[in-house]
Amino acid sequence: MYASKKYLTIAWILVLPALLIRIFTTLYPIAETFRISFFEVKLLQGIHRFVGFRNYVDMFHDSKMIASISFTVLFVVGSMAGHLILGIALALILNMKFAGQKVLRTIVLLPWAMPMVVIAMASKWAFNNDYGLVNNFIRWFDPSFQLNWLIHTGTARNAVIAVDLWKDLPFFAILVLAGLQFISSDMYEAAKIDGAGSVQSFFAITLPLLSKNILVLCIFFTMWRMTSFDVVYAMTSGGPGESTALVAYRVTTEAFTNLNTGYAASIAIVLFLVMASLSGLSMSAAKRVDY
Amino acid sequence: MRKSGALLFASALAVTAMLAGCSGSNGNGAAPAGSSSTGTSGSGGQDEITLYTIQSTNPKFEEWLNEAQEKSGVKIKWVAAPTDSDTRQQKVSTILSSGDSSVDVLEINDEMATSFKNAGWLEPLQNSVLTEDIMKQLPQGYMKDMLTSTKGDVIGVPSYSGYLALWVDQKKLDAAGMTSIDNEEDFVKFLKASTKDGQYGYGGSWEKTYVFNEIATFVNLFGGDYFDWTNEGSRKAVKFMYDMANTWKVTPVDQIADKYEQMNQKFIDGKYAMVFMWGTGTDYKKANRYGKDQIHMINMPMFAKRSIFTDSWSYVLNSASKNKEAAIKFLKYAASEDGELNGWNNFDRYPARADVAASDAVAGDIKDVYAEIQKTNEIHGRPMLPQTMEFISEMGTQFQNYIQDKITLDEFCKKAQEAVDRYK
Repeated sequence: MYASKKYLTIAWILVLPALLIRIFTTLYPIAETFRISFFEVKLLQGIHRFVGFRNYVDMFHDSKMIASISFTVLFVVGSMAGHLILGIALALILNMKFAGQKVLRTIVLLPWAMPMVVIAMASKWAFNNDYGLVNNFIRWFDPSFQLNWLIHTGTARNAVIAVDLWKDLPFFAILVLAGLQFISSDMYEAAKIDGAGSVQSFFAITLPLLSKNILVLCIFFTMWRMTSFDVVYAMTSGGPGESTALVAYRVTTEAFTNLNTGYAASIAIVLFLVMASLSGLSMSAAKRVDY
Repeated sequence: MRKSGALLFASALAVTAMLAGCSGSNGNGAAPAGSSSTGTSGSGGQDEITLYTIQSTNPKFEEWLNEAQEKSGVKIKWVAAPTDSDTRQQKVSTILSSGDSSVDVLEINDEMATSFKNAGWLEPLQNSVLTEDIMKQLPQGYMKDMLTSTKGDVIGVPSYSGYLALWVDQKKLDAAGMTSIDNEEDFVKFLKASTKDGQYGYGGSWEKTYVFNEIATFVNLFGGDYFDWTNEGSRKAVKFMYDMANTWKVTPVDQIADKYEQMNQKFIDGKYAMVFMWGTGTDYKKANRYGKDQIHMINMPMFAKRSIFTDSWSYVLNSASKNKEAAIKFLKYAASEDGELNGWNNFDRYPARADVAASDAVAGDIKDVYAEIQKTNEIHGRPMLPQTMEFISEMGTQFQNYIQDKITLDEFCKKAQEAVDRYK
């Protein structure tokens, strides 16, 4: 009894430094963010006063914030739909046996290895009507094509989603591919003997066996989309107007450009709560999916 | 359950990471987000400062640095400012608001000066650096509007004097059969004459945080007031910009996505006949497009009046600096004739001090145009409010909505006035 208590004390002493670092670097900032969200903090004017829930109420009357929420929903749903459909398709292609398969797998991963800020800055030029490679490509088929993608709400939003997909889709596909390789080929052979075609095999074997893997991937990829800001920061600066300002971009703008840290903290807290709720729901869904 | 907890924790971590530097404290805060590049250059001086500079990528930066160290007697370590304006502003805001002392002297623009001059983060310089004899050589209106706090403290040493001037492509002016652009009529005539074959009479950078410069310039030319949107001149100015883009189609609506880098590239490529631009034409020189027969600066045309904006990047002293004595030595050098000429010789920065600009050491066609501008124009600092970037961005957003026909002129003016009232 004494020995086990002694070991427990030693264990706590050994863990304590890591625990303290974690408290200081994670729990303290979270608590501080919660606290600040109840204050009006405007560093430039030297204002720091308690305002209760006013920042939270203001948020839903702020037209910029409403635009940010609507685009964030669209961005997350659009991008995740693309990840799911194209990612699984790409994984299936990469899982096929053909000459140059390894080279293709490497090439596919290249966009993921590049920093998003670099990609977004290049994309600003790529979607330019005069100099952009996107329109140059389209003009091979339609020489009179003219469109500056980043000046209209709809096309700018699609361009942002496309860039996000271009960068992270390969990573999603590679992770799905890893799941695919755990599925035994015996199952496909058995299905084939029973007369199942490839489409039937995909829906009856591949998809069910991948579903838990995909659901977990979706949780993380959704969370990354919800906190994404660099693509917008470097590519559109939230424009035209405020139509591509993601919620996370709004947080950084309010916090670090406008120096309204109280308001920024309240947005961050709401974002946190939404992410936590979504994660909880997804996890409970993942528990029900068990093959 | 354990997985759910881990995910909750991960969510919290992701959001908190974005706000890790968001403490409302004015005291000891987090260190700055990190510098993109740092460096030192040896000197025999005993004193040492760290300078946050926008010039480190200039090919002549080393020459400027060596001379500055030699003549100021201060060893200068430097930190490179990001090239993107938003990032630059955010970084300086973080350094100053957190009380970070790792940078002693910073180069800041008018937007930042307006934001920070009343925040108490910058050291007053009127007693130590900007003595009366120097002050009287600097542009008085600019110093008062941009670099003087409400308490009367002067917080910056302007490193140059620049204008948001009109630049024209001489070949297009010749092709239009014109010799000059003296007034509104000439301006419109040239706009229309040079718009053809996918080329436009006017080019702008109408991205929401950049377009402010051009709106304010036209407001001034039409005799308006940027802070009064019931003023007929202000309304005429934005209507004129709308007509350029939508009625006469002499400038592309596409440019609402463009910053200066895109605008200049198009101007250099011959897509535009004229633009408003800062500086002394460095980009055009690099592209071999600078010259009297190519792209060059001309005097502002007379609309309701002849009016131009001046700007500068100013050296300021961080209040949290632990090397104030050395920093003041450097700032005294920056404000001296030697300091101003160093900027002119190496960076093409036109001296802010009238006596230095008038000296024989400063020569060339820019000097002639500048002299004409100074003689014939109303010269103003740009209209800015303490929440500068928030105000600029709000006005830019509303302007883009107007140009894209999402709101009417009346709605734009109403929203612009609301923004002025909210941020003033």
